[in-house]
Amino acid sequence: MAAPRWGQCFLRLNKSSSTTTLLETVWHFNVRSVSFSSSSLRRVSWSSGSRNEVQPSVRSTHLNPNTFNFTSSLIRHKSQLLYPKLQSCCCRKVHSDAKLKDPFTLAQKDLTSLYDDIKKELVVSKEELNSLCDYYFDGKGKAIRPMIVVLMARALNIHSNRDGDLLPGQRAIAMISEMIHTASLVHDDVIDGSDKRRGKQTINEVWGERKAILAGDFILSVASMALARIGNITVVKVLSQVIEDLVRGEFMQLGSKENENERFKHYLEKTFKKTASLIANSCKAVSILVNPDPEVHEIAFQYGRNVGIAFQLVDDVLDFTTGAAQLGKPVAADLKLGLATGPVLFACQQFPELHAMIMRRFSTKGDVDQAWQYVLQSDGVEQTKYLAQRYCQEAIKQVSLLRPSPERDALIRLTEMVLTRDK
Amino acid sequence: MFAATLQRLSSRGQRTLSLFSSSGPSNWSKVVSDAEKIVGYPTSFMSLRCLLSDELSNVAMHVRKLVGTQHPLLNTARGFVYDSKNNLQMRGLVVLLMSKAAGPSHTASDLLAQDMVSGIYPNQRNLAEITELIHTAFLVHRGIVDLKEWTVSDGPLKDMQFGNKMAVLSGDFLLANACTGLAQLDNTKVVELISSAIGDLVQGIYYENSNNTEENILTDGVDMATWEEQTFLSHGALLAKSCQAAMELAKHDKESQRLAYKYGKHLSLGHKLNSDLQPFVKSSMGESSPFSFSAAPVVFHRQIIGQERWHQQLEQVQTQRNQLNYSKLLAAVKSEKGVSSAVDLCCYHGNKALEAIQAFPSSEARSALENIASAITKF
Repeated sequence: MAAPRWGQCFLRLNKSSSTTTLLETVWHFNVRSVSFSSSSLRRVSWSSGSRNEVQPSVRSTHLNPNTFNFTSSLIRHKSQLLYPKLQSCCCRKVHSDAKLKDPFTLAQKDLTSLYDDIKKELVVSKEELNSLCDYYFDGKGKAIRPMIVVLMARALNIHSNRDGDLLPGQRAIAMISEMIHTASLVHDDVIDGSDKRRGKQTINEVWGERKAILAGDFILSVASMALARIGNITVVKVLSQVIEDLVRGEFMQLGSKENENERFKHYLEKTFKKTASLIANSCKAVSILVNPDPEVHEIAFQYGRNVGIAFQLVDDVLDFTTGAAQLGKPVAADLKLGLATGPVLFACQQFPELHAMIMRRFSTKGDVDQAWQYVLQSDGVEQTKYLAQRYCQEAIKQVSLLRPSPERDALIRLTEMVLTRDK
Repeated sequence: MFAATLQRLSSRGQRTLSLFSSSGPSNWSKVVSDAEKIVGYPTSFMSLRCLLSDELSNVAMHVRKLVGTQHPLLNTARGFVYDSKNNLQMRGLVVLLMSKAAGPSHTASDLLAQDMVSGIYPNQRNLAEITELIHTAFLVHRGIVDLKEWTVSDGPLKDMQFGNKMAVLSGDFLLANACTGLAQLDNTKVVELISSAIGDLVQGIYYENSNNTEENILTDGVDMATWEEQTFLSHGALLAKSCQAAMELAKHDKESQRLAYKYGKHLSLGHKLNSDLQPFVKSSMGESSPFSFSAAPVVFHRQIIGQERWHQQLEQVQTQRNQLNYSKLLAAVKSEKGVSSAVDLCCYHGNKALEAIQAFPSSEARSALENIASAITKF
């Protein structure tokens, strides 16, 4: 079904350029989720006539080789290629009769006191440590992770024949996901030597590196205590894996791979570990608390994994396309850190000159500007966006296997927001 | 000027001390190596798994670039090799001895006695390893440098940035391994307990840092009660809670857990007092090396002589080049009651630790714990 057809498309797409091996690699990396979903599509799913509903999303990607030659379209029609199609397709198929629910509005009631509750967990006698720990829980973050967790939990509760209301443990997981995320941000900022985040000074900039590291460690320990208090050892294992993935992902950023195929695989694996693992495993954790069926856990996990990777791919695109004012951090930050993300890796196929720069991590004077130019001249940005779109479609396919609910539909709509966000 | 010099000196001194917590009394090595035989195999178990991982070999490769720089990570890394016998693995060893001294579980049927190796459950061995991982992670994180305080004369800033990066990553790596290891113990109470110990450790180190700022050196400083509280967080909570967790893993009752906690707590405090006392009890030859102003004898000393005299003493031992003559300062501290008060306190904690394990049945493991508790009171 879906899998072989996608595979063909990729192969075909690559023939006229030098991209065959690279995109194959991308493809194989994603293969696990695809083979899963193609089998699950055969199962009975909740929405009436689900087969007819789910399949169009595959068709409407315009990847069907019979429709048209993708490679040329990718190059000629960059601007039209992506978002409108996905948007119309998922709106049409899910919301033909119901009003669109904004994910933010829908998750709002569960998230209102989230930051206050996190701050309560973090209370310590040492006043200064308190203010460090609270620093990023100022309610100004996007709280995208807790939002996904809350919506997923409600969707899963309804799927499991209950009312949507969150179980206490599920709410705790929403908090914990944001805490683990924040702890890792604080450490990342020290590692990268960043002085700005979300438009304000970083903790290391204000209080110094020593205290910043301790604050991150403290937030993590409190998250870990809250996790243990949920009292479910499987949930503890699932979320501990995230902590390990985060560190391993950070380690993966230290090295560059010589071989192009390996490099892309490495990049996607790093992206999973650094970004998607937290979302995927938090979704899985809330599913474990309400439903004993491993297939349901897998749906939750795969939704989070695919959305998470798409989220990061878009982030990597924005690093090239957004002005400093919008993103709240300097542009081309990744290049300056020596990191080759999706757009560069794709661009490298059109401009092999990039290879040497990638290997020396853009360390020679002028590398960053030169690489930036190459990326903008190439299809790197479009191809990365396209890849993000594919991951979102996979996420939609996964979550569509759940019984319909406003929260499930909000999760579908959220994929669209992930793709269209500009900051 | 004076204050700035003072601060830099003392924070350096403090850093060195926290990394190399003293070599201890001469019979310490013997006590430890005897004890190691009792628990089955030597405790250089500190996660071969971790040390041999790709990630840490990667760090090891990078750390070589730091040779010749002043980044503290270098000393910490050296410590793994040279100090491992005496200090780093003391916590794991105590957890194992405590597990063995408490013996097999009487209540839980799902814990099989045949799984035990040398009288210790596999989970308790894993816990001992996790305790070492956490301890080591914070040795590494303690060595992070504040870049803004770094001046050109200290060496290139780039080296420090790089050293920080390696220190953050390797500390995080050890902590992450501790987290997944904890989860594998299949006991959420233990996860909560050890996570809270990590929180305690962070708070303790946070206090430790702020006690070494210039304001704290020149103003009141901490009193002894506060010192004990903060030292428990930075040096005692992990061992106390790990000992308690070892009892929980074997389903021993609340009372055993309380006693194990008590042993771990008092042993750690005694051990810290002992190592703080080393520069003051050794018959020193020649120049005295810098010591921390938050070392127990100094804290006692300041409390005894009062703020004003302390200030006078500091000014008296200042050299012409705005540095402190530590030999003179050492002599000044020794001439008062600070040292003997710290020795008394050390013995008090050693005895409390001994007292706590008397309720366990007599065994060679218990004897080893007794020997360790006695060893920390010997100078």
